[in-house]
Amino acid sequence: MNIWSISIQNIKSKPLYTFLSTFSLSLSIGLLIGIQQLKTSFKTQIESNLGEIDIVIGAKGSPLQLVLASVLHLDNPTGNISYNEVERINSHPMVQLAVPISYGDNYKGFRIVETTPEYKTFYNAEMASGRPVEKSMEVVLGSTVAQQLHLKIGDTFYSAHGLIENSIDVHTDELTVVGILKPTQKVIDRLLLTNLESIWDAHNHEVDNHTIHEHNHEHNYEKEITSLLVNLKSPRGLLTFPRIVNKNTNLQAVLPKYELNKLYEYTSVGFKTVSWIAYLILLISGITIFASLYKMVNERAFDLAILRTYGASNFQLIKMVVYEGLIVVFSAFLLGGIFIKIGLYITVSFMQPSSQQSILKEIPFQEMLYIGFLILTMLILAISLAIYQIIKMNISTILSNEK
Amino acid sequence: MANSYIKKTAFIKFEMVQTDNLTFRYKSREQIFNFPNINLKKQESLLILGKSGIGKTTFLHLLAGLLKPAKGKVLIDTVDLNSLQNNKLDKFRGKKIGLVFQKKRAIESLTVFENLQARLFFSKKEINNKKIEALLTQLDLSEIKKSKPNKLSEGQLQRLSIALAVIHDPQVILADEPTASLDDENCKNVIRLLKNQAEQTNANLIVITHDHRINSYFKNSITL
Repeated sequence: MNIWSISIQNIKSKPLYTFLSTFSLSLSIGLLIGIQQLKTSFKTQIESNLGEIDIVIGAKGSPLQLVLASVLHLDNPTGNISYNEVERINSHPMVQLAVPISYGDNYKGFRIVETTPEYKTFYNAEMASGRPVEKSMEVVLGSTVAQQLHLKIGDTFYSAHGLIENSIDVHTDELTVVGILKPTQKVIDRLLLTNLESIWDAHNHEVDNHTIHEHNHEHNYEKEITSLLVNLKSPRGLLTFPRIVNKNTNLQAVLPKYELNKLYEYTSVGFKTVSWIAYLILLISGITIFASLYKMVNERAFDLAILRTYGASNFQLIKMVVYEGLIVVFSAFLLGGIFIKIGLYITVSFMQPSSQQSILKEIPFQEMLYIGFLILTMLILAISLAIYQIIKMNISTILSNEK
Repeated sequence: MANSYIKKTAFIKFEMVQTDNLTFRYKSREQIFNFPNINLKKQESLLILGKSGIGKTTFLHLLAGLLKPAKGKVLIDTVDLNSLQNNKLDKFRGKKIGLVFQKKRAIESLTVFENLQARLFFSKKEINNKKIEALLTQLDLSEIKKSKPNKLSEGQLQRLSIALAVIHDPQVILADEPTASLDDENCKNVIRLLKNQAEQTNANLIVITHDHRINSYFKNSITL
């Protein structure tokens, strides 16, 4: 028998109150943790997909569209640029590496990116099996693509025009799988990589056929790419190099980090709104806990007075109330954590069955500390208000009035 | 107020319970209560009789240190209760005094057995389960030791109140209207039980009541 066991018995004796207080508090804690986890995961996902890319160069248009299309592979490209630019940019003294990429075809909805072997270095992607692309019409698969389309080395398929799955506008040249990449939890997992020659050959071939059959004259096909992903030698170039490109060429150079941060700021309005709702629920839960403790102290005033006649000090009675509050809060914290873990796991499983583990990132310790601090402050406030009655309790009056 | 008992005990030395010119006034009331001096030797019992509103419960609460007197002293085992700080007074009361209230109540969330354990815990006494079992057997409460107080009958609650007042071997047992609303048979049983327990634990028993049916059980009595 000790204060803890009395507190536990007290809690067990009012199951409905305990359940309601714990449940409402666990919901708000779960919501807060969930929002923080989604925010963290979203930000981490965006930042990790940037890899080592400092600057994206492409056709003029929306800078965000260029970044979304060329880095995250979520949007349509702003247009094409001449391959001749690659050499010019690559030879610039500020540039460490410039990787051309070209895209506009897909296979069953997964984008095919024509690029050079250096593209993999942006994401530290390694071969899981097979070999890199060596010649035209060979393809290396990202891990998600291989897993979801059940493709293996040696398999062949026909790609389709455009970025959306279709079976009407299909290329006539067959692509052969020669390698599969290890999972990176980055955008490269969702891509099919081939070399630039594959697209030029396919399009040349198709243009030639088209020309022969319909126009019957020679076509001089100019090599084009969609964009250039640039890694600079020094961060100092981040300010000057885009300005040079934007001023002296018809191209646009954008800082993907800046653009994605802007995107994050836009989307975080939603996160902020839900966060405020969570804080509101937390406040309501705090009031519920206070009301529950206050009611407990009020209803059990005679019990508490009797305990004082048993020899219990005010401090021991306060400890009893504090323990009851702590039991509710810690149960709620635990429950909230479990609720949100299961909830997010199920939600993400529906969204992306193969990579739910990778999308969700753990909340940084500081964030957890912040949430814990908030709840503890609320608990201290609720308890302080509730125990005020104990401090000012007149045992004689309580015992006399019970008659 | 009658002071018959003062004369009887005036010569006694080394008193266990002693009051000296006790007066009390509630903040919200004009009335001033003046209480007679009492001097009880170890194991002596006292019946305090009085009509409603005369200040019986106030006197009992002063004896238990639950109220602070306006003037005068309460000495239990030579310790002046007024001289003790709140925390020390709580501890002192927990160890030395056993209280039986008119409304029989125990801690609702605990079982009969746990209530007695809690009583010993807060008295800073060893939690002796065998002693609890023995007392429960003696008071015919063994069968309901795992029940919560709200499941007990009026008689069982009364016996539990007595058990809670004596389990920690107090030096003074103070009972407030312990026989109110009881029939003659139960009234007799309760008083016998209280006297019996007081004798077994060598404690002083002070009962305040307006119930004259119990006069015959006490050698010493005063009327307020």
